[in-house]
Amino acid sequence: MSAPVKTPQKARGWLRHETVLLVLVAAEWMYFNSVGARFGTLDNTFDILRHSVEIGLLAVAMTPIILTGGIDLSVGSLLGLCAVCFGKLWRDAGVPLPVAVAGTLALGALTGGVNATLITRLKLPPLIVTLGTFSLFRGVAEAITRGVDTFTGFPANFLFWGQERWLGMPAQAPVFIVVVVAMWLLVHRMTFGRTVRAIGFSAEGARYAGVPVERRVAMAYVLAGVIAALAAIIYTARLGQAKADAGTGYELFAITAVVLGGTSIFGGRGSVHGTLIGVAAIAVLNNGLVHARLPREAAGVLTGGLLVLALASGVLPKLWSDWRARRAVVAAAEKTVS
Amino acid sequence: MKKLTLLPLFLFLVALIAGCSKSPDAAGSGERQLTIALLPKAKGNAYFISCKEGAEKAAKELGVDLIFDGPTDTDPARQNEIVENWITLGVDAIAAACENKEGISTALRKAQARGIKVITYDADAMPDARAFFVNQATPEGIGYKLMDEAARVTGEEGEFAIITASLTAANQREWQKHIEARLAEKYPKMKLVAVRPCDDLKDKAQTEATALMSANPNLKLIMAIASPAVPGAAEAVKQAGKAGQVHVIGLGLPNENRRYVKDGVTDSVILWKTEDLGYLTVQAAAALAQGKLNAGDTSFTAGSLGTFEIKGDNILLGTPFVFNKENIDQFDF
Repeated sequence: MSAPVKTPQKARGWLRHETVLLVLVAAEWMYFNSVGARFGTLDNTFDILRHSVEIGLLAVAMTPIILTGGIDLSVGSLLGLCAVCFGKLWRDAGVPLPVAVAGTLALGALTGGVNATLITRLKLPPLIVTLGTFSLFRGVAEAITRGVDTFTGFPANFLFWGQERWLGMPAQAPVFIVVVVAMWLLVHRMTFGRTVRAIGFSAEGARYAGVPVERRVAMAYVLAGVIAALAAIIYTARLGQAKADAGTGYELFAITAVVLGGTSIFGGRGSVHGTLIGVAAIAVLNNGLVHARLPREAAGVLTGGLLVLALASGVLPKLWSDWRARRAVVAAAEKTVS
Repeated sequence: MKKLTLLPLFLFLVALIAGCSKSPDAAGSGERQLTIALLPKAKGNAYFISCKEGAEKAAKELGVDLIFDGPTDTDPARQNEIVENWITLGVDAIAAACENKEGISTALRKAQARGIKVITYDADAMPDARAFFVNQATPEGIGYKLMDEAARVTGEEGEFAIITASLTAANQREWQKHIEARLAEKYPKMKLVAVRPCDDLKDKAQTEATALMSANPNLKLIMAIASPAVPGAAEAVKQAGKAGQVHVIGLGLPNENRRYVKDGVTDSVILWKTEDLGYLTVQAAAALAQGKLNAGDTSFTAGSLGTFEIKGDNILLGTPFVFNKENIDQFDF
C-alpha cells in the first residue's frame, strides 16, 4: 500500500521545487520592473532572451548528462574551440558559411564523442575526463590562434542570426526554442529520458533491467557536443568575432542553471523546464541589476543566494514534516507516560 | 495541485504583460540630465578604479549622471551585454575601454544607430564604431619618454637591455621601434645590448633580468616595457645586490613598484595619470552628447585640466608622466 502513496508525494515535491523557483523569478521580475524604468519593456525582454541563448543551450544540453549522474565541465571550452574552428573554416579554408556551420556541428559531435568514449569505454569518472578536456579543448583553441588571432568580418547575413530580429523576436530565439522543445520531448516523452534517469538512480540496476547504459550515456555527451557547437555559432554571430577565449566560464553558469532548476547533481531527478527556469532566474538577475543601477558584483552573491534558497526549499518541507512526525510520536509517548 | 503550479505561472505572465505594456517614454523625467556610462575592461582593476575617480570628478563638475560598470568575471562577451543593456536603458553617451576590439564594436555600432554617442578610451574599438578615441599615450610619446628617462638615469652613456612582453606583442613592438629611433637620433654613447621576452610574467622577468646581468657585466640599465616586468627586474637587481649599479626603469603602475622605487632599486616608473584619463573621457563624452565636440575639431577644452590636442579622431592626453621617489606617494593605483 505504501508504494503508490509515496510516488505522488515525490512528484508533488518536484512540482514544488519548480513552482517555488518560478515564484522567485516572478518576484525578481516584479522587483526589477518596479525599480528599473525600462526593465519591463519588450526591448529589454528580448535583450534578456538574446543574452541567455548560449548559456541556455549549454544548460539544456547539460541536463540529461546530470540526470545520468555525470557532469560535463568541457562545454565552455568546447564552445571556444568550435568558435575558433568555425572561423578557421570560413576565413582560412574559404569554405562557404553553411558548410562551415555543418563542419562545426560535426566537430562538436566528434569532441563530444571523445568525452563519451573516455567515460564509457575507459570507465573514467566524468568529472575527471571533462576536467581534462576542459583544458584540452581550450588549449587547442589557443594553439590554433596562438591566443591572439581573432576571426572577424563575417557577412551580414550570418551576423543576422546573432544580432537582428526575425518575426519580431531575436533571430537566435527560434533556434533556441527548437532545441529546447526537442530536448524536452527527448527527456520527458521518450525512452531516452526514462533510461537516463534510471542510470542516474542506479547504473547497475539499469543495466540489469536491460538498458544499454554505455550507449545512452555516450549519446548524452555527444548531444552536448553538438549543442555546444551550435552555441558557438550563435555566439560568433552575436559578437561578430570568434576568439579562443569564447565561452570562458560558461560551463559553471550552465551547471548552476541546471542545479538551480531542480536537477539533482547526483542524477536521477530533474527536468528540462526546470533548467529553463534556472536559466531565466540567472539571466533576469544579471540584466535587472544593470537596470536597477545596482552593483554587478551583487550578481554572484544573489545567484548563490538563490541557489541556496531554491535547494533549501526542496528540503525544508521534508524536514518540517519529519519534525512534526517526530513531535507527534514524542507527544503521544508523553501522553502515555503521564 | 495542478492549480497551485499554474498560479505563479499566471502571475508571472501577468507581470510580464504588465511590464511589456509599459511605454518606454513614460520613464523620461522633466529635466534633462545627461547620463554617461563608463565601461572599464574589468571593474575591479586598480587602474580603472583610479580612472573612475577622475571620471567622478568630471561628472560632479558637469552635473551629469555617471554609470560605472564593467565585467567582474572572465566572460569576454560580458562587455557586449553591458553595452546592450545601456542601449535599452537609454543612456546619452557610452565611453568604453575595449577588451575585444572587433567584438565590442558590434554593440557600439548598435548604440550609435540608436543615437547614443560613443567614445572609447584606454583601448580603442574599430574606428567606425565610435566618434573619438581618448588616447592616453601615443607609441611615440611612450617610446621617447622611456628612452629620455633611460638617458637621464645613466648619464647618457653605457649599455642597456629591454625586457618586453613577448617578441610579437604589437604594442611593445611599436614602442620599441620609437625607443630605437630616439636612441639612434639622440644618444650615440648608449647601446642596446639585448631584448628579452618575459611572457607578461613577473617570475620570468626576474629570471631574464638575472641572466641579463650575468651575461652583460657592463649593463647599466634594464628597461622593462611590460608592467609585470618592472617589479620582476627590480627584484632581480635587488637580490643580486646591484641596486644603484644597474638601474631599473619601466612602464607600470605606481602601486606595483612603490616598494622598489622607495628603496632606490627602481629609479622611475612611467605611465599616464589615470585619473586625468577618466576625467578627460567623461568631459569629452558629455561634450559630444551636448554637441559641443564635433568631428574635425582640432582641440578640446576639458574643464579644469585645460586644452587637449585632437589628432584626427584621437583626443591626446599628452606626454606620459614620470613617477619617482619624490612624487610616487601622491598616487594610489
